[in-house]
Amino acid sequence: MVDGVGNMMIPVRCFTCGAVIGDKWEEFLRRVRAGEHPGKVLDDLGVKRYCCRRMLLSHADVIEDVIKFHELFEKRAR
Amino acid sequence: MERDKLRVRFVVKGVNTEFVNALRRAMLAEVPTMAIEDVVFFENSSILHDEIIAHRLALIPLKTDLDSYLLPEECGCGSELGCNRCRVILTLSVEAGDERRTVYSGDLSPDDPEVKPVYDNIPIVVLAPGQSLKLEAYARLGKGKDHAKWQPVSVCTHKYYPSVEVYSERCDLCGKCVEICPKRVLAVEEDSLKIVNLLNCTLCEDCVRACPKNPPAIRVSPVPEAFIFNIESTGSLPVDRIVEEAAKILEKKLSEFSQKLEELG
Repeated sequence: MVDGVGNMMIPVRCFTCGAVIGDKWEEFLRRVRAGEHPGKVLDDLGVKRYCCRRMLLSHADVIEDVIKFHELFEKRAR
Repeated sequence: MERDKLRVRFVVKGVNTEFVNALRRAMLAEVPTMAIEDVVFFENSSILHDEIIAHRLALIPLKTDLDSYLLPEECGCGSELGCNRCRVILTLSVEAGDERRTVYSGDLSPDDPEVKPVYDNIPIVVLAPGQSLKLEAYARLGKGKDHAKWQPVSVCTHKYYPSVEVYSERCDLCGKCVEICPKRVLAVEEDSLKIVNLLNCTLCEDCVRACPKNPPAIRVSPVPEAFIFNIESTGSLPVDRIVEEAAKILEKKLSEFSQKLEELG
């Protein structure tokens, strides 16, 4: 999960309470990018506690950036 | 009192703190659930290391069938990776084509369709074009005291049942207690101070301190031998079943203990 550069991907569970949050990430991201208020989306998703809310709010999906290098390697190899 | 698919809140009366705490700890640490324990990687060209993927897989809650599976230490097979009665094999085989491909928990295919991931849309890893992930995961029953991945609950708490008394002859409805209450338990309605949200009271006594009267016109105290339980399941077991199993485990432990005591004479 934690991989030198920070959180590569959304953690499966909340670090503090252990509730599952990984399943909510993609909907959260989609709706926030569409312009909805993050707090409202979290309320909708049933993420009540602030420990779980910060997991989604403060996460940056680094894997999306790292994977670009691998796509370039792949192109070059061809 | 309040319930939905994953959460339940109920009141327990006529028991002491030690008992409710024992029940809480039994739920956290003793009720078994299914989780992935061993993973065999056949191919992993993704950018995450094997152990990170294994860790992510382990944290995915699996639907648990307590009636047809045994704890490995109670199973007679003695095999390192278990037998049909104490483990489930989940296989995962994903290859990215020409586009990026996210691997989800739903891509895991179990050999027993009853023991499948509770959520199908937990991202495990993103594969770049041409990368692939092939693995076999062995799930088994375990207890929360060995690893948090086997905990059936994320939240499992109890608190005292609150009692809030307002002495209306001293109260002049200044509203200071209504303002300071962090849980919005009180409200001024018409010409009296009303308790609108009793169960949310945390007994912090901020309202008592805020009251300008001396002695204060409000008093909060715990009701003796009454508790509010708040439980949230991870989805691997239904909440009712968790409470039931915890009670059974507690009973078994106690009868074992009294038997040992008798043996000692």
